[in-house]
Amino acid sequence: MSPWRILLGKELLDVVRDRRTLLLTVLLPVLLYPGILLLMGTIIAAGTLRLKNEPMTVAVVGAPTLALLSKREPPPKTSWALHTRAEGAALLKDQKVVAVVIAPDDVEATIAGGKQAVITVLYTKRFDRSMEGLDRIKPLLDALNTQALQVRLDALNLEAGFVQPVKTDPVDLDFQKDLGPLLASRLLPIILLTMLIIGALYPAVDLTAGEKERGTLETLLVSAVRPVDVMAAKYLTVSLVAVATALANLAAMGVTFGMGISLGGPATTTFQLTFGQVLTMLACLVPAALLLSGISLAVASTARTFKEGQSLMSPVMLVCLAPALLSQMPGVELGPFTALIPLLNVALLIKAAVLGTATALDVGLTSVSVLAFAALALKVAASAFNSETFRFGGTGGWKALFTRKPV
Amino acid sequence: MPAVIEVESIVRNFGATRAVDDVSFSVEPGEVVGLLGPNGAGKTTTLRVLAGLLTPASGSARIAGIGVKEHPLEARKHLGFLTASTGLYDRLTGREVLQIFGRLQRLDEATLAARIHELAEELELTPFLDKRCGALSSGQKQRISIARAVVHDPSAYVLDEPTATLDPVASREILELVRRARARNKAVLFSTHRMEEAESLCTRLLFMRAGQIRARGTCAELLAQSGKTSLTDAFLFFAGALS
Repeated sequence: MSPWRILLGKELLDVVRDRRTLLLTVLLPVLLYPGILLLMGTIIAAGTLRLKNEPMTVAVVGAPTLALLSKREPPPKTSWALHTRAEGAALLKDQKVVAVVIAPDDVEATIAGGKQAVITVLYTKRFDRSMEGLDRIKPLLDALNTQALQVRLDALNLEAGFVQPVKTDPVDLDFQKDLGPLLASRLLPIILLTMLIIGALYPAVDLTAGEKERGTLETLLVSAVRPVDVMAAKYLTVSLVAVATALANLAAMGVTFGMGISLGGPATTTFQLTFGQVLTMLACLVPAALLLSGISLAVASTARTFKEGQSLMSPVMLVCLAPALLSQMPGVELGPFTALIPLLNVALLIKAAVLGTATALDVGLTSVSVLAFAALALKVAASAFNSETFRFGGTGGWKALFTRKPV
Repeated sequence: MPAVIEVESIVRNFGATRAVDDVSFSVEPGEVVGLLGPNGAGKTTTLRVLAGLLTPASGSARIAGIGVKEHPLEARKHLGFLTASTGLYDRLTGREVLQIFGRLQRLDEATLAARIHELAEELELTPFLDKRCGALSSGQKQRISIARAVVHDPSAYVLDEPTATLDPVASREILELVRRARARNKAVLFSTHRMEEAESLCTRLLFMRAGQIRARGTCAELLAQSGKTSLTDAFLFFAGALS
């Protein structure tokens, strides 16, 4: 058996027995993210439902206001209470009422006279109950407006379209009924790339700086094995852990979306990934894992201790995550240019795959581009493993990346 | 008898500092050569050059007649290297560690199994050989480390301050290893700060200071050269701390 295969077996055995790595990179995210999404959806839905069913009092200022509102049935679970404006504002502040409605004394005469009556509703965005109160009052006031308008139109023998010559009717063919793909296209690129990065960074630090700190690296390097074999085994191990992490998260997110994510109230959205979409994502996730593993190993190899390695990884993580966040900006889409920018192309391809707009050219360009950068990262990592800085730590830090002395 | 370990005019710099300056020596089979000197004398750098971990600016090192720089893998097949900071894989068992390092040394499975059995008997590893190294005591770990270093039965042993951080019980394992190696006609190069170890184990001593070998010979010869009656005083004399 070739040395790199012996070492790969050793590294994988070591990683599989490392409960901390497995917990942090695979199990925890797989359980955590779907759990958080489902829990959040449940909490939001329960909270919204509780607010809808909660009895609320709305302060009404002046008898004319009360008379106007009393023309129609009050909203469900809502009652009116007569107060002055000052009292109403104070009660709103103390959350004793959810809103304050103020109409002018001559409101009915104004409406009947064909003029406009301004009805003020005091509320505050600070309290959810007040927002709910506004949501309950507005339909009632809209209904009063519609009723008065209809009376005026009838008197003039005009149709409803007279007061609104141009009406906008936006129809979103793709997402009107199901927000699942849209939501997934926003969440998946960020979550998958984040997990891919975490999946690569932690084992890379453990297998390089961690080994130096534990004194096992020197043991390995004085045996009959070439540094390139050591590097190949570590590189493959880190890549496999990163891919496993991404796949586990993809599966978990797929199941979560399949079960449905609550958007608040009764609205729930679902989204099923197709085999083609999964294949498209894999076509970019696997090269991305190779790229991130190379970067992680190259940087982590300059650290002398696990702690130092972790601190070096923080900026790496931020830099690698930036493209995922950039992919969510309006107007940033997958094209011949963006498909060549590493990691941004991965995030955009995942987004396009979810929305069903990815083409074979997109997949090809993205994969080739990321693989090319992965080869570059591998070259840097190989150079790192063949250096004295890697073996004995050197000065450590970022400087070591550019001041390596080959053995 | 040809030397197993040969070092010729090795020079090694770290930046502007010359860590090893024209160092030459050899170790023959059955010899235990002690490498003495204060911290920063260049002992570890010399041993790392010998193990192929560092490249010399000039000079050469050979193990069993094989150039370390030219054929590092072949040379390391004849080398057993152990330091006090040598670590083990906590999540692997002792047996797994020995199997991996034996395979890396290209031992076939039958030979490897026989060798592990032999080492288990010799070093009394059997009770804990299948436990994970993380669960072992420091003495047990030390014995596994020794077995790991010699699993391929090398002809040259290079030990870099192997007892520096060990308690007397764990140190005894190392000293026994050196005695057994000598009895088996192995060539042992042994760096230490413990004079009593050097005195009881070494057939010859090399004293390094500021990257150079300042004195060499048997223990008695070094005492004579320094005019001192104890090896500790001789150490201080060669280190420049005693006149």
